[in-house]
Amino acid sequence: MIMDTQLASLFTAGALIIIGIFAAVFLDNLIKKVIGLAFIGDGANLFLIAMGYKPGGIVYIYLPGMARDWFAQNAAYPLPFALVLTSIVIGASTMAVMLGIIMVLYKKHGSLRASKVLGE
Amino acid sequence: MNLLIPLMIIVPIICALFLNLLHKKDRTIKVIAILLALTLPLLPLLASYGVHFFGGYEPLTQNPTLSAGLPSLITGTALNTFHPAITYSFQEAQKLFLFILGLVAFLAILVSLFETRRPSGVYGFMMFMGVAAVSALILTDDIFNFYVFFEIAALATVGVVLVSQVKGNYETALKYMILGSIASPLLLLGIALLLGVTGNVNITDIIASLKSGVVDPQNPVILMACGLIVFGWLYGSGLPPFHTIKSAIYSKALPHGAALLQAFSVFTFIALGIIILRIFSYLPLSQMVIIGVSLLAMILGITMAILQTDLKRMIGFLAVGELGYIGLGLGLGTALGITAGLFQAVNEIVITAFLFIGFGTIYYQTGESDIRKLGGLMVQNSKVALLVLLAGFAMAGVPPLNAFQSKLLLIQASIQAGLPELGVIMILLSIVTFMTFMKAFHAVYMKPRPLDLEIKNDKIPRVTILALFIFLIVCLVLGLFPQVATDFLQGISTSLAGGIP
Repeated sequence: MIMDTQLASLFTAGALIIIGIFAAVFLDNLIKKVIGLAFIGDGANLFLIAMGYKPGGIVYIYLPGMARDWFAQNAAYPLPFALVLTSIVIGASTMAVMLGIIMVLYKKHGSLRASKVLGE
Repeated sequence: MNLLIPLMIIVPIICALFLNLLHKKDRTIKVIAILLALTLPLLPLLASYGVHFFGGYEPLTQNPTLSAGLPSLITGTALNTFHPAITYSFQEAQKLFLFILGLVAFLAILVSLFETRRPSGVYGFMMFMGVAAVSALILTDDIFNFYVFFEIAALATVGVVLVSQVKGNYETALKYMILGSIASPLLLLGIALLLGVTGNVNITDIIASLKSGVVDPQNPVILMACGLIVFGWLYGSGLPPFHTIKSAIYSKALPHGAALLQAFSVFTFIALGIIILRIFSYLPLSQMVIIGVSLLAMILGITMAILQTDLKRMIGFLAVGELGYIGLGLGLGTALGITAGLFQAVNEIVITAFLFIGFGTIYYQTGESDIRKLGGLMVQNSKVALLVLLAGFAMAGVPPLNAFQSKLLLIQASIQAGLPELGVIMILLSIVTFMTFMKAFHAVYMKPRPLDLEIKNDKIPRVTILALFIFLIVCLVLGLFPQVATDFLQGISTSLAGGIP
């Protein structure tokens, strides 16, 4: 059951990425495209975080009284969690820039249709 | 620990932040930007070789004080040799790459400050931030840290384009970001797969895991990770299928911005290319993919350059084509091939910047980059025309300029590797490059001047001419004394060709 949690996370990540690519490639609305791109980023982040999952593991905070060997054996792997935090920040800033550009383009073209604005 | 190593990233970041804060204070921006840009090529020259650990410490094997108090669960396993920090490695090749990046950045920033009536703090911010990010790409031995700076470099690229205020820049920047937002998470996914299999993001540690048998090198997940990282590589460097958007990005930046952006692309190309070679070179498919993609880039880039009427777009496509030469050198996998490829990278960065800033004088004088609307500018400024002609000769590989030496080395390497047909293709494409350049040169400088062509700025700033002279000197020095550069590349080439360094 615990193993299933990791598998479910990986499948969800895969689904998010596929849905995101579909939205980014096939939808004509720029905002919907950006939402699709956010899905791809979230999928990658979920995938990354699932890599650090440890069945039956504990949070990687070393508290007084814990035996060091026991902690080393039972704590979840902290690296992916630290990485994903950075990745979320990057994703947020990228999305902010994209939305800012879309605002400017909307004022210029009066439309959010990618086929009109980007000439696809 | 060498404190100058982190400074190579910290100085441009601090400068970027200052310039952003000082936006609209023109004179202060100029002084700070020039002074700090001058440090960019100097820092790598002054720094001695070594490693720097960000936010951690050296491996436990090198740190007996710390390892003494740790349980055997850690010290008795492979964890003992792992790098618990973001490791930056500064060796001979990095010194050369960072010097060239610093030089191109210094000259591009200098030209931008003197060609623009009111220097923009935001524009300077983007340029310095990009330089910091690309410096980190060159130095880092941590693949996740690479991803972070890869994204910052992409954002800085978009920023340079947005601030340039060239017609259609917002549309092109958005297209680039949409493609980037697909490619970058896929690169991250590749890194996540490597992390899942090896438990690490330090490249040296990943390689150690693969070599020592801790991880099965034939694990199909590694093959998938390789594919995803290669996809990110294609996007970051503007190889097919991203070559059109990359050249569009160059064409929507101001010429000095484009000169810097192409340097970012080439350094991303070689930095990630080296990582791919280091981790995946044992997979025969990886080298075949590098050669295949490089050939495609050469053929598509150079043939599409012939069709262009916009000068910046034409140079952009030529730059993509030249990337193919670098890739071929790396893909050959021999020490000579890798040296030749990396030498070609150094040359291409200098020559393309030379061309962008050289042809940029046309844009500065006329506000026009469409060759159909230009002509007769030889009379206007014959000195710059001569410099631009020499830049074109350098790109085509005419002796005694630098690309001649690197292309000759590449042809020798392809013959040595038993692939002489690659050498023939390289020669043919060099001829096409020459033709493309001469067509543009004739249209801009030699054909009669159109009646409606208006000269907006009669005088080209002296700084721009000085920058062109410096580029010419670098081209001549590297052409006459190629060992000045190749000596710095021997170490990395030998270790990459010998398998896992």
